[in-house]
Amino acid sequence: MKLLQAVRRANRPGPPEHSVTLRVACAGAVVTGIAACHGQGELSPTVAVTAVLLVIGGMVLSYLTRTRPLAFIKPVLAMAAVVAFVWFFRQLTGQAIYDVSTVEDPLAVLFVWVQVAHAFDVPARRDLAFSLAGSASLMAVAAAQAIDISFGGYVLVWLGCGLVGLLAMWSSASEGGRMGIPGLAATLASVTALGTAVLVVLPAPHVAGRVDFPSNAGGGAQLPIPGALAGDGRVAQLAKPGSPGGLTRVGGYLGFANRLDTALRGDLGDTVVMRVRAQRPSYWVGETFDEWDGSSWSSTHPHTHRLDSGSPFVVSDGPLPGSAVASQSDLQTFYIVRPSPNLVFHADTARQVWFPAGELFTSDTGTIVSPIGLGSGAIYTVQSDVAVPSADQLRAAGGVSTAEARPEAQYLELPARYARVRTLARSITAGVPDTYDKVERLISWIGTHTRYSTAIPPLAPGQDTVNEFLFGNRTGFCEQISTSLAVMLRSIGIPAREAVGYVPGPYNPITDLYDVEAKDAHAWVQVQFPGFGWQSFDPTAVVPLANPSPGSTLLHQAAGVVRRVPWVPVGAVLGALAIAAVVLRRYRSRPPTWAELAARHIERAGRRAGRPRRAGETLSSYACALDALAGDPSGSWRAIAVVVEAAAYGGRRPAGDEGAHVLTAVAALRRQLPRAPRTGRARHGAPVEAAPARARSVPATTGQDAGVDGEPAPIGVAVRVAAVSPTGRGLRRSSPRPPGGDGRP
Amino acid sequence: MTAVVRRHARDGPRRSPRLRGVVRPVRPVVPLLSCATVVLAWQLVAHNSGAGWVQAVGDMLAGVLVVGLVAPAVACARARVGVVEGPTDSTAGLPVPLVVQSASRVRVRPLDPPGAESFVGPGRPVPVAGDAAGALGVGVVPAPRRRGEGEVALHPRRRGVHDDVLLEVASAAPFGILWWRRDVRVPLPRTLHVGPRLGEPMPLPHGAHVSATGATRSVPVPAGEPRAVRPYRAGDPRRFVHWPGTAHAGELMVREMERAGAEPVTVEVRLPPEEDAAEQMAERAMATVVTLVDRGAPVLLATTELDGAHLGPVGDRRSAGRRLARAVAEAHGSAGRTVARRTR
Repeated sequence: MKLLQAVRRANRPGPPEHSVTLRVACAGAVVTGIAACHGQGELSPTVAVTAVLLVIGGMVLSYLTRTRPLAFIKPVLAMAAVVAFVWFFRQLTGQAIYDVSTVEDPLAVLFVWVQVAHAFDVPARRDLAFSLAGSASLMAVAAAQAIDISFGGYVLVWLGCGLVGLLAMWSSASEGGRMGIPGLAATLASVTALGTAVLVVLPAPHVAGRVDFPSNAGGGAQLPIPGALAGDGRVAQLAKPGSPGGLTRVGGYLGFANRLDTALRGDLGDTVVMRVRAQRPSYWVGETFDEWDGSSWSSTHPHTHRLDSGSPFVVSDGPLPGSAVASQSDLQTFYIVRPSPNLVFHADTARQVWFPAGELFTSDTGTIVSPIGLGSGAIYTVQSDVAVPSADQLRAAGGVSTAEARPEAQYLELPARYARVRTLARSITAGVPDTYDKVERLISWIGTHTRYSTAIPPLAPGQDTVNEFLFGNRTGFCEQISTSLAVMLRSIGIPAREAVGYVPGPYNPITDLYDVEAKDAHAWVQVQFPGFGWQSFDPTAVVPLANPSPGSTLLHQAAGVVRRVPWVPVGAVLGALAIAAVVLRRYRSRPPTWAELAARHIERAGRRAGRPRRAGETLSSYACALDALAGDPSGSWRAIAVVVEAAAYGGRRPAGDEGAHVLTAVAALRRQLPRAPRTGRARHGAPVEAAPARARSVPATTGQDAGVDGEPAPIGVAVRVAAVSPTGRGLRRSSPRPPGGDGRP
Repeated sequence: MTAVVRRHARDGPRRSPRLRGVVRPVRPVVPLLSCATVVLAWQLVAHNSGAGWVQAVGDMLAGVLVVGLVAPAVACARARVGVVEGPTDSTAGLPVPLVVQSASRVRVRPLDPPGAESFVGPGRPVPVAGDAAGALGVGVVPAPRRRGEGEVALHPRRRGVHDDVLLEVASAAPFGILWWRRDVRVPLPRTLHVGPRLGEPMPLPHGAHVSATGATRSVPVPAGEPRAVRPYRAGDPRRFVHWPGTAHAGELMVREMERAGAEPVTVEVRLPPEEDAAEQMAERAMATVVTLVDRGAPVLLATTELDGAHLGPVGDRRSAGRRLARAVAEAHGSAGRTVARRTR
């Protein structure tokens, strides 16, 4: 009875929630969750848009009916929830469940529809809190599929909505409480600091061992030849031997082909080609090569073993060589970002592969290829066993001549030209009894005597890569370095082969993924130890960088800068600027017309008289001012201006010599204008204009002149005491301040 | 009699003094379990999916939940609450509004004397429930609300004298996930006297001057000497109006005459030690005094207070309420009685 009462009390509807902010924040959080699921490909656009519209509509309806909820809404929503669950279970039982994605997609749809149904019945604060928590489940479903940092946008928006919703919830619970800016800042800082601290302290989540893994073909197409190596084009095509223009250039690397030509030089970039979630960093091998011809590696082990058991494929189930050796299980999930060759990368010895195809092909060396091209979005998971023998165990393994572990002959074969290499290798390893120490000694020597650089010229035809590297410039990158080690090992009877693949790129602590970039493509050496199988050695890791050549470095950097320039917009801008400059230059270089020339003459005359033409002043009015300044009642300047304006604006050019006469008249009139005194500096240092044009423009009434030291004479005083002469001379004579005087009579 | 200070009447739930001032959560089980479930579910999903984003988002979510669970404790501990305004007199059973100020938004519930919870602090002002403002006691000056101020209504159930009030301060800031509370004793700006309710009056002794109507008096003849000036009451003759006092007090004041023929009635109150019985006795004494005062009889009230026996005149309901609010049981205990007798 008490339980029943407790249930009733718990289900008692709460008071209606009136906060619009809280509802908007909750709706925003749910919509963000739906968008995040859609962004991760778990919801179709139709479902996502429909769900968003229904959630918004449901929230609005709930707000409008919050005080008097509709009576029929709960039964309808209960029925909708039942229908959604029935649909979900039918989805699960209607198809084979072979990985997590098979469950996650309908699960996301189920969560979305439950959220949609719930949105129609959220009258109280508690219901809105449930809605907020429900949006978290959507975010969890989406986050489980997110592999790149762009998902952070959804997270930020969702966290923002959630925080606003929680703040509004507290405000509503405290009946209108408001938090100040310091409190908000402290809250945000605390949340960020705590979340970051937990993120830093908690170990990265590792994939559980006994669950299914996602796999996706990424739109890959079937290859025409089973077990063949594909290029990285959009269309599944067979790979061609590596060449700078070939099909196997994944970010510029030429090694993922049937042949590794060390004479070629690729151009690796920093494009992310795949993301890998792994329990530990490893060398993820794609191919191994056993045949060396002096410049190229090739493989004598084609991928002929067909695995058709379906996902997960059991690649090998036998014990690892050297059963006494400790081994670690390593799960790696590869998320292909850029179209890739159909190599199935893996760490050490692959055991099981979860792959979205009906079959796989393996070689004797343990490498795997898929029957489909791996496009962007492809996902597969490999479970490997990684043997971790100690140095002492490898030393104890001894040499290669034991009867029970005789190596295959091709791992010791070399062209006949390596007598010098053999001599060098023997001299380096002289006195070293076991294989492991010989390998370490050779690696140490390479680290001491060679340098690492990718800026080396291509090898000329006929040159040997190893001889050039060991006895030539001794500069190279992983292909030259590892090949030299392999050849040196073979020359002294140690079986070795070349392996190519990827090393882990930068680790992203947010996504818990290694971002493998194109430049992380790598080549290293595998050495066979009796009883322990093939063990990887990376001589490149100990090789120091070559001293940079300033010239080549500058050129390399300049080339990089040039490559990064967005030439289309930059070219468009530069072209527009050039066209504008040409137009402007042509405009400026145009010879002045007669009218312009005459106008310039008039303006020059006015400037000499201390009356420059003002902005916006027409030539006619300017000429009137000059007439007034010259005391010319006949309006000679005005007449000239009329002719000039008629030529400029009316197209009536002066006929014959009229133009020259006009210019001559301007020159004559200019001499009649009073000349303004030179600009001086007043006693207090302020610049003094020659003569105020305003005063000069009305000589008939003012008749003033420049005073002593450039100071203007008093205006209007002389008008009342002197007779006005047409030339204005009388005005100057009657001035109370004679030129050069001090103002006294 | 147990109290040793002026606040001698406990009026509220008993709380351990040891916990006073200690911040503690309010009903924490459900919020804690819910948050733990959410975090564990996220961690489970992160572990099973191996997705770093799930863990990253879960970590931020954990940060939000931890802040939501712990920050209210800090907010509650840092909350500074003070009573800035309050009445001087009230009656048991009637709400007493207090103006409480806080720098942060907190929920305040008076514990001693008890009262209704309310929210004070920055934010939307919350009106006091009921007609507390209308039932305001004497001495309250309604002050304009400033930032952070809010009204809290006390509901004293017993008479008493209060120099401070015990408040439960609670906060759930910033997310409202979990409430934390602590008890603080806040001094009142002015001593609050809570008088007893009006009970059944005692049978009045023979000879006490009682008018025919009881509640109102007939027009009295101004006889005797002026004794004091008091506020005007309905029925007072106009000729008794004391104009200088009216001008001074701002309200109509009348002279109170010492009538030679009116002998004072002494109301002697001896309270029993039991609180309920003492309360009932005080209510009867209050009713008796009020009845006598309303009839115009001079009343002397004899009570026992903390510092000893007191005998003095009471001229109105307010002074009677204060005297009875301070009254305590006699030291040696008694059955308690209220006696009204003529004073010789």
